[in-house]
Amino acid sequence: MAESYRRSQWSNGLFVLPYLAVFLVLLVFPLVWGAWLSLHKVDLFGPGRFVGLANYGRVLADPVFLQALRNTVVFVLVSVPSLVALGLFLALALNKTTRATSFLRALFFSSSVLSVTIVTLIWRFVFIPGDGLLAVISEQLGIAPVNFLSTSGWSLFSVGVATVWWCLGLPMMLFLAALQQIPSDLYEAAALDNAGPWRVLTRVTLPSIARTIMLVTIIQIVMQFQLFGQAQLMTNGGPNGTSRPLVMYIYEVGFVRWDVGKAAAASEFLFLIILVAAMAQYLVSTRKSEVSE
Amino acid sequence: MRRFLLSTAALVALACSAPAHAETKIELQRFFGACDADYGKVTDVSKAVGECGIITSLVNKFEAENPDIDVNVTTVEWPGYDQLNAQLASGAAPDVVSMHYSAISDYQSRGLIDPVDDILSAEGISPDSFTDAARGGVTKDGQMFGLPFDNWTMLFHINMNLMKQAGLVNADGTPILPKSADELIAQGKQFREKTGKPYLVQILANETAAYARILYTLLQQQKSDFFADPTKIKLDTPEARNAIELMKRIKDEGLSTTGLDYAAAVTAFTHGDGGIAVNGTWLIGDFVAQSEKDGTALAKGYAVYPVPQLYPGQDSTYADGHSWVLPHKDRTPEQTAAIGKLFKFLADNDYEWARTGHLPAVKAVFDKPEFKALPHRESIAKIAETGRSLPGAVQRQFAIQDIIGEEVGAAVNGDKSVDEALSSAESRINDLLANI
Repeated sequence: MAESYRRSQWSNGLFVLPYLAVFLVLLVFPLVWGAWLSLHKVDLFGPGRFVGLANYGRVLADPVFLQALRNTVVFVLVSVPSLVALGLFLALALNKTTRATSFLRALFFSSSVLSVTIVTLIWRFVFIPGDGLLAVISEQLGIAPVNFLSTSGWSLFSVGVATVWWCLGLPMMLFLAALQQIPSDLYEAAALDNAGPWRVLTRVTLPSIARTIMLVTIIQIVMQFQLFGQAQLMTNGGPNGTSRPLVMYIYEVGFVRWDVGKAAAASEFLFLIILVAAMAQYLVSTRKSEVSE
Repeated sequence: MRRFLLSTAALVALACSAPAHAETKIELQRFFGACDADYGKVTDVSKAVGECGIITSLVNKFEAENPDIDVNVTTVEWPGYDQLNAQLASGAAPDVVSMHYSAISDYQSRGLIDPVDDILSAEGISPDSFTDAARGGVTKDGQMFGLPFDNWTMLFHINMNLMKQAGLVNADGTPILPKSADELIAQGKQFREKTGKPYLVQILANETAAYARILYTLLQQQKSDFFADPTKIKLDTPEARNAIELMKRIKDEGLSTTGLDYAAAVTAFTHGDGGIAVNGTWLIGDFVAQSEKDGTALAKGYAVYPVPQLYPGQDSTYADGHSWVLPHKDRTPEQTAAIGKLFKFLADNDYEWARTGHLPAVKAVFDKPEFKALPHRESIAKIAETGRSLPGAVQRQFAIQDIIGEEVGAAVNGDKSVDEALSSAESRINDLLANI
């Protein structure tokens, strides 16, 4: 340590300067400015007037905000476990090196490279009444078709299905990477002990990738709280606001109604929620490493 | 290496300092869709059909006639105001933007768009040359803040082939249309029984504008002055209840398609999935073109009428219009002159735009024999008198439309009671207007 410490110079800091500059300009500055805006009655086009915490009060008293918050929480509670479970299932199924599994891995990952516009377009073809895939199938089966995109409950579900399909690639890849790092001697030992596949899964595989499961869960919670594009393009938040997520609320208040102060206040709430999720990850991961040490 | 870099830098500098290209560039941003694949090179406007085709070929023709002017078109998703707001906020607004009359007061009241009176007078365009509705739409505080382009309303686009099947055609071949809310329901039921299809093709999903326009129309027909004070809406009224209950009844009785968004509703009508499409003037040109093709559901069987008067109050239809506005920014005299030329060209070619189905903004077009010869213009001519917009001083009309659409939609689809939806819409809109 002494050698490297002595040789360290202030000028070495120049190496981190580019990153630091980007970090300050694109993250810290907007963060502070957002907090500042949230204390003002201001539109997009000019200086506002200081109103203290009034915007926060207005946000909390707005039933549309509370509904959007509820929608978002429900969405996260359903989509994140689905993503983790399906991602893990696919990773376990494809954790072999054959030509078929490489092809399937690429196939399942391919949806992640599509833009949100394409993803929603594809799923609109599935859900749209009349000529949509599900409508045609239910007609063939003689079941009354459901208007997936314009029925309360179903609209958020449809957005969730599209989201899971779109986001599945990353969890699968992270799980695959983790599975391939499990030492093979553990499996050999389990085989010698005559452990069945279920026992191997629950006693060897899952404990070995527990931290990755936690990592994937936290990443997905942070990502899914920021749901916007799919809901905007598939359901426009409807019907009756039942599929409007928080980010869409912020967007509408800021850009459609020009009430930037209120939108900034709502953003601060979203920031807090995501901060809590990120801190939870930090706490869980540090505690885990203490235990293992 | 250093020499290479230096010489490259010198070359770049030279290229940048070379005298600017002789062309004057205008950034034009519009909705109306993108159709470059079909019309990207078309300069013969008479060959174009529909809003997108006509505006694209109009701009192509203008560029061909004015080689010194380059109009750089950016197409935005309708209505494009979110994008415009972001551009205005970052000081990167385009030169000319398409804008609804109903949105102008938002931008004018914040000094975000420039008056166009000087540009129009420099080109010899008199304000009197526009219809009162069009001129009123762009005039704020005595100044014109845009070039009016058209007026539009929602209409009843009718599939006459299905109406015949339903027995809803007069001896002279005109459709039998309702004269009251009860007649609407009765004729809708008759239509459904005879054809097995819904009477109305409405945009009821993923869209707010259609609900709001129908509500405004039904309120106007009952003479409800819901915006007597432009900073406060009044929706907790028997008239509003009547209107929404009618909209709900149409849906509950199975007289309308459900779950269709805008695109799906247009397709459904052209496929003959329902009798009457409640949609805008802009589709007349497209539907006429369809009806001239054999083998389509509309073949030789398309008619269009204003939304019928269903209440005894007055004959009225909610109307709005499109204009071209100039975001506030510094322009060179050449650019201003080029915009003037473009405006003159658009005003001179307002007939071509009227072929879409919109009512022309330029008075003289009404007297043109070509315009009079356009199909169906006779039957919708009265919307020039019966079309009514919201009071010009009402701000945030698009945000209001979103709220109304969401709440009325909830009531029509049974997610909320009518009273709940009305009081929620009223309080949300008044909160919005109180916090401008």
